[in-house]
Amino acid sequence: MSKVKPAPLPPDTVIGGYRIVRKLAAGGFGVVYLAVDTEGQQVAVKEYLPSSLATRGPGELLPQVQPEKLSLYRLGLKSFFEEGRALAQISHASVVSVLNFFRENETVYMVMNYLEGASLQEFIITARELKKEKVFRESTIRSLYDEILRGLRIVHQHKMLHLDIKPANIFVTDDNRSVLIDFGAAREVLSKEGNFIRPMYTPGFAAPEMYRRDSSMGPWTDIYAIGACIYASMQGYPPNDAPQRLEKDRLSLSLSRLRGVYSDNLIEVVEWCMSLDPLSRPQSVFALQKELSRETERSYTKLTVAEKMRLQFDSMVSDNKKSAHRTDAGTKFR
Amino acid sequence: MKFSVYQISRQGGRERNEDRMGYAYTRESGLFVLADGMGGHPEGAMAAQLALQTFSAYFQKAANPAVREVPEFLNSALMAAHHQIIRYAAEKGMLDTPRTTLVAAVMERNQMHWVHCGDSRLYIVRDGELLARTRDHSYMEQEAHLGRATDHINRNILFTCLGSPAKPVLDLSGPMQLVQGDRVLMCSDGLWGTVTDAEIVSELARRPLEQAVPELVAMALKRGGPRCDNVTVLAMEWETAEEFQATCVSTEDIDDGVFASTIQSGVPDPTIEDMDDKAIERSIAEINEAIRRTAERNS
Repeated sequence: MSKVKPAPLPPDTVIGGYRIVRKLAAGGFGVVYLAVDTEGQQVAVKEYLPSSLATRGPGELLPQVQPEKLSLYRLGLKSFFEEGRALAQISHASVVSVLNFFRENETVYMVMNYLEGASLQEFIITARELKKEKVFRESTIRSLYDEILRGLRIVHQHKMLHLDIKPANIFVTDDNRSVLIDFGAAREVLSKEGNFIRPMYTPGFAAPEMYRRDSSMGPWTDIYAIGACIYASMQGYPPNDAPQRLEKDRLSLSLSRLRGVYSDNLIEVVEWCMSLDPLSRPQSVFALQKELSRETERSYTKLTVAEKMRLQFDSMVSDNKKSAHRTDAGTKFR
Repeated sequence: MKFSVYQISRQGGRERNEDRMGYAYTRESGLFVLADGMGGHPEGAMAAQLALQTFSAYFQKAANPAVREVPEFLNSALMAAHHQIIRYAAEKGMLDTPRTTLVAAVMERNQMHWVHCGDSRLYIVRDGELLARTRDHSYMEQEAHLGRATDHINRNILFTCLGSPAKPVLDLSGPMQLVQGDRVLMCSDGLWGTVTDAEIVSELARRPLEQAVPELVAMALKRGGPRCDNVTVLAMEWETAEEFQATCVSTEDIDDGVFASTIQSGVPDPTIEDMDDKAIERSIAEINEAIRRTAERNS
C-alpha cells in the first residue's frame, strides 16, 4: 500500500477544456480542483484518483495503478459513475449540480458547479469556539434545514438516498444558500485494508441500519442523519454513534441539557429523527418538513432542580468517559 | 424511433408500495418493465426492484443499439431476474423467498414483443379497439378461459411468479407490427382489479395519455376505497402525432453507444462486472445524456 498520497495536477494544467486553478480538497476517492472553463466560468472538477489504489508522482499527469489493484480500481469507478448518474438527474438549488463528465489522463473527471462558502462543519466549529449558550440560533437552524430538506426531498423523489449526510457535506454558500454535496460516498467505498468493499458510514450520523447495510434502509436513514446534523448544530458536537447508543442511549440526556435553550419542539424533532427504530422516525422528508415548519408558539421547558442535580451527578461519574468522547468527536469533525 | 410515455404509481391503502416500473432505451430500442412485488412473502419491493434492475442491465448489454433476438432476450432476462431474486434470498439466508410478477415489452423496428409472468397486464389499443391483452397466470383466469364459473375463486392466487422455488411460467408474445398512434398500457392488478377492460380501452382511446392514465388511476383508487391496492401504470404511445412536452421521447438524436434508463439501482448491482474501456465510455456518454436531458427539462 502506498503511504504517499497521489500528487494533484499542477495549476494551469488543462484537462477536457478546463484549466486548473488550484486544488480545493482531496479525499479517499480523489481530488477536487477549482478550474475555469473556456469562457472563464469557475467550476469544481472532481478527479477519480483513489489514494489507496493509485499513485502519481508530482508533476505527472497519468496515475499509476499496480496490476493487482486494477480490477478494484475499475470497480471504484462504478461508484464514481453512480454519483454522476445520481446528480445528472437532479436540478435543484439545494443539491450540487453536475455539468459535465469526461475521460482523460486514463481516469475520469466530473465537472460541478463551484460553490463559494464553507461547509456547515466549519461553521459549527467556529460557532462553538465562541462558547456561547447556543451554537446557532433556532431560526437559523430551522431555515437552514428547511432548504436542505427541499433538496433531499427531490433526491428521494428520484428514488435515491444520499447515505452520507453530515455537516461536512452541507455547504453554506457566501450568498446564503445551503447545498447538499458529495453523493460519491453514498454507495460503497473501497476499503484501504484489503480487496473488498465495505459499507461506508460516518459515525454519529449513520443510522443503525447503515451498519447492517440491509434493505431496511430508506428515506428514514437519511432522516436519521438530518436529525444528527441538527443535533450537532445545537450542541456543537456530533451525537454518539449508533452502536454506542444501542448499548446505552444517552441521547435524551444530552438533549435535556439543551432544554430552555432551544424550544421543546426542536428538541423533540431531533429525538424523533434519531429514533433507533427506523419505523419510529419520520417516514418521509415531507413529514419532517411539516413538523419543522410548524411555526407555533415555541415553548421552553426549563430543567427542574432534581433534573439538574441528576445531570451534574451524571457528568461527575462519566467525566473521563465523556472527555474521551469529546476528543473523539473532535477528530470526527476533522 | 419515437414514442411518448407516461408512468404513474400510487400507493393505495397498503402499508407499502411494492410496485416498480421503468423504461430504458437506446437509439433503436425501447424497454418497458413493470413488476408488482408480492405480499404474503418477504421483501416484495426488493423482488420487484431486482427484477427491474436485471432487465435494465441485460438490456444495456443487449441493445447495441438494437436487441437482435428480442424473444430470446426477454426470456433470458426474465430467467436471470428470477435467479437474482433466488440468489438474493439465499445470500441472506431467508426462509421464504421474495416474489414478484413481471410484464416487460421491447419496441424496436416498428415491432413489439412482450413477456409476462403473473397478473400484471399489458393492453394494446389501436383505433379505440382492444387488440390484445395478456392473460393472467391466475387460477381465476385459467378457469374463466376454460369457461367455468369463477365467482368462488380468489383472483389474487397466482400459479406462477418470479422468485418462487418453482421455475417461472412465462408467456412470450409478438412480434406485433406497431402502427402510429398505437397505445400500450402496462399495469399492476391495482388497476384492473376495479377498472374494467372496456373502461381502460375507452379512456385510452378518448384522451391523450397524460390525461387518460391519471384518470384511470384516480378511478381505481376511488373504487378501491381505503383498502385499495397500489395502482401502477406505465403507458406509451407509438410515434405520437403531436408532440407532448413532458412525455415525448425521440431516440433519433442520441448517439450510438448511449443507453438511457429510468431504472435506478437501489440495491447492489446484480451484474457486477469489470468496467472495460467500452463500459467506461458508455457510462460517460450516458451521464452526459442524462445531464443534457435534465438541463432540457429545466429550460
